[in-house]
Amino acid sequence: MALLNIAEPGQSPLPHQIKRAIGIDLGTTNSLVATVRAGSAAILPDEKGVMMLPSVVNYTDAQMPLVGAGALALAAQHPADTLMSVKRFMGRGSRDAIGDAQRSHYRLAEGEEGLVRFMTSSGERSPVEVSADILRVLHKRALATLGGEIDGAVITVPAYFDEPQRQATKDAATLVGLRVLRLMNEPTAAAVAYGLDSAEQGVIAVYDLGGGTFDISILRLHKGVFEVLATGGDTALGGDDLDAALAEWVLQQCGSPSLAPGQYRQLQAAARAAKERLSDEVAVDLDLTGVLPSGGAVRVTREVFEGLIQPLVKRTLGACRRCLRDAELDTGIDNIVMVGGSTRVPLVREAVAEFFQRPPLVDIDPDQVVALGAAIQADILVGNRPEGDLLLLDVIPLSLGIETMGGLVEKIVPRNTTIPVSRAQEFTTYKDGQTALAIHIVQGEREMVSDCRSLAHFELRGIPPMVAGAARIKVTFQVDADGLLNVSACEEITGSQTSVTIKPSFGLTDDEITTMLQASFSHAVEDKLARQLAEQRLAGWQLLEGLKSALAADGEALLSEEDREAITAPMTELQALLEGQDTNAIRTLTERLGRQSETFASRRMDKSIREALAGMSLDALDDEVMQ
Amino acid sequence: MSLPEFQKNYFQLFDLPEDFALDQVQLGKRYRQLQKELHPDRYASGSAHEQRLAVQYSALINEAYATLRKALPCALYLLELAGMSKEDISGQQIDGGFLMAQMDLREKLMLLGELVDPEIALEHLVTEIGVDVNQLHEQFSCAYAVGELSAAASACVKLQYLEKLLLEAEQMESKLIDSQT
Repeated sequence: MALLNIAEPGQSPLPHQIKRAIGIDLGTTNSLVATVRAGSAAILPDEKGVMMLPSVVNYTDAQMPLVGAGALALAAQHPADTLMSVKRFMGRGSRDAIGDAQRSHYRLAEGEEGLVRFMTSSGERSPVEVSADILRVLHKRALATLGGEIDGAVITVPAYFDEPQRQATKDAATLVGLRVLRLMNEPTAAAVAYGLDSAEQGVIAVYDLGGGTFDISILRLHKGVFEVLATGGDTALGGDDLDAALAEWVLQQCGSPSLAPGQYRQLQAAARAAKERLSDEVAVDLDLTGVLPSGGAVRVTREVFEGLIQPLVKRTLGACRRCLRDAELDTGIDNIVMVGGSTRVPLVREAVAEFFQRPPLVDIDPDQVVALGAAIQADILVGNRPEGDLLLLDVIPLSLGIETMGGLVEKIVPRNTTIPVSRAQEFTTYKDGQTALAIHIVQGEREMVSDCRSLAHFELRGIPPMVAGAARIKVTFQVDADGLLNVSACEEITGSQTSVTIKPSFGLTDDEITTMLQASFSHAVEDKLARQLAEQRLAGWQLLEGLKSALAADGEALLSEEDREAITAPMTELQALLEGQDTNAIRTLTERLGRQSETFASRRMDKSIREALAGMSLDALDDEVMQ
Repeated sequence: MSLPEFQKNYFQLFDLPEDFALDQVQLGKRYRQLQKELHPDRYASGSAHEQRLAVQYSALINEAYATLRKALPCALYLLELAGMSKEDISGQQIDGGFLMAQMDLREKLMLLGELVDPEIALEHLVTEIGVDVNQLHEQFSCAYAVGELSAAASACVKLQYLEKLLLEAEQMESKLIDSQT
């Protein structure tokens, strides 16, 4: 599912120059942006010094969407125009989002492909567009604070997000023109934020109760390598549900009157405030002014509140048990990291401490820890840190499979497989002369296709006609380090590549993105062309710089003079082109040079393998001597 | 695309002896070391071609590690290297006694839900299967060491049966967790 790459290219960065990298926690309730400065990660506040941006956008004024606290203030007045907790709708079809939408009093429009779209008084908005509006504010904040173009961003997603939800998040960043270095799992980010100054080695559990999602991850930290062993959770359980449970109870106390959407929003806000205060107080009065005509207050004790949320907390512990089993640990958990504002609730902390039998770590603000970890990872990925500093090995949260006979699922990549991963599966034809094959890809743990998430329908065409069962079609499923899926297919007998038509069941099509881009950018045509030129130059520049240093290091050792010449000649040519304005020529030559240098690149990687293991063999000798 | 290392087998990739009794500590160390060099994160600011290549290498290292770190995939991989096809392995005759024992275990699993304390019973059952699994590892190891591939393959097939049973036990446990919450 190729995306249009519209990364905002900076000035050609010079080697060794510190690049501007940011980490973004695009949360259900609040969003944050952080960066690493002078070696430590810090949240970037807005001009008033406020760190958290409420993930709320108001669309009453078509020209000026209002984001953050300003939008939140309009929630009661314009409930259908003020979109909150939109993360819950990312990458979801309207059919499975109806319940959530009704509770939030949003009006849904049926989009193409059954995608969720909200009706506002200034037109329809998709969750991706709403998220992009939130990202745009954070991006601007980073631009203003860091004083220049951002070279790259790491955006966090719940570990349990499936592929369309991840894709939707990346799409939102694309709309804003942010170059996404990596989608990072929130619990992993939190572990990184803690991991750098905590124990060097050990097993960490991350309990992440966010606004709308619950995640649990178990990681092993080993000399700078974070290996995610297992991850689990619930995408439909979060702090919002704690608020909703309290709001429902309060309503019951008042004889269950029916509320207008605006009043319900007021009640939710009051319930949230009461929840927060109950972390420190044993009883609070929940103010009903604006909720009920009669106004008044309802007294809520911590005991009542704890009784209400007990079943939800139990649900999170069930996910923890499952995750512990998946991790197949032979040792205990050394540390528990708490993430998300709802982990301030004393009952949650107690339940977690009891379950893991040790007190959780709470030194870093649970609202900030994810953004801080993302900033650290962004700093590494953009190249600001020496190599070998830190590496994350993450996993795919949900199994990927294909539909087989009778609507059953055959798993191709089981959950908790370390990514990137590549798995091939062979298919054959079942009819004489069959030239096409339909493949349906799903994600989930259940046995029946109907119980899993449909990801894509693939049509393999151009299979050479043969007798039934003679064709051998190898379909390769590749999941990259962002957890995104790519599929390629090849008929093995004839070696003919079959064309793959991807029809995303829920994700955005490239056309939709293009349309949105056109709608969201008011750039003049020249701007767009200039932008394309700048992008191509950056790509060409990156390739040239990479090759120059690679040739300096290994050129003589790994390439014959002839091979070197085959690379250096087009390099000189590309260097000259980069001075000019011909976008297409730069693109073509960059592509060609990239292909020509592939063998060299793979020889270098082979060399890395040999060198890495040569070092290891010495280590092994050391170990033996030690013993 | 040329990926010369793809020609190597997984043991060679990690520079470890072709053996069932692998040094897991060394395997883990070498795995992490290789990923430190070749993971796509190391090429995040590199060219698109380098990034694609890194994804392929990194995926290969993950696959190799996943195969060697667990007993059954490692055993099957050894048989494959020894020239046995999937059909050769799955075609092994399994003795009736083993199959009967399997049916007993499965029946126990199915009837768990009706017990007063299904969790304890499930734990016992999983332990029981674990003992069988260890014995089969031993059988495979001995047979493979002396080149009796057919006996080694039949141990693998039995392990596959037990693996499937463990998977069902896991699903049962999930159901038990769900029913409590």
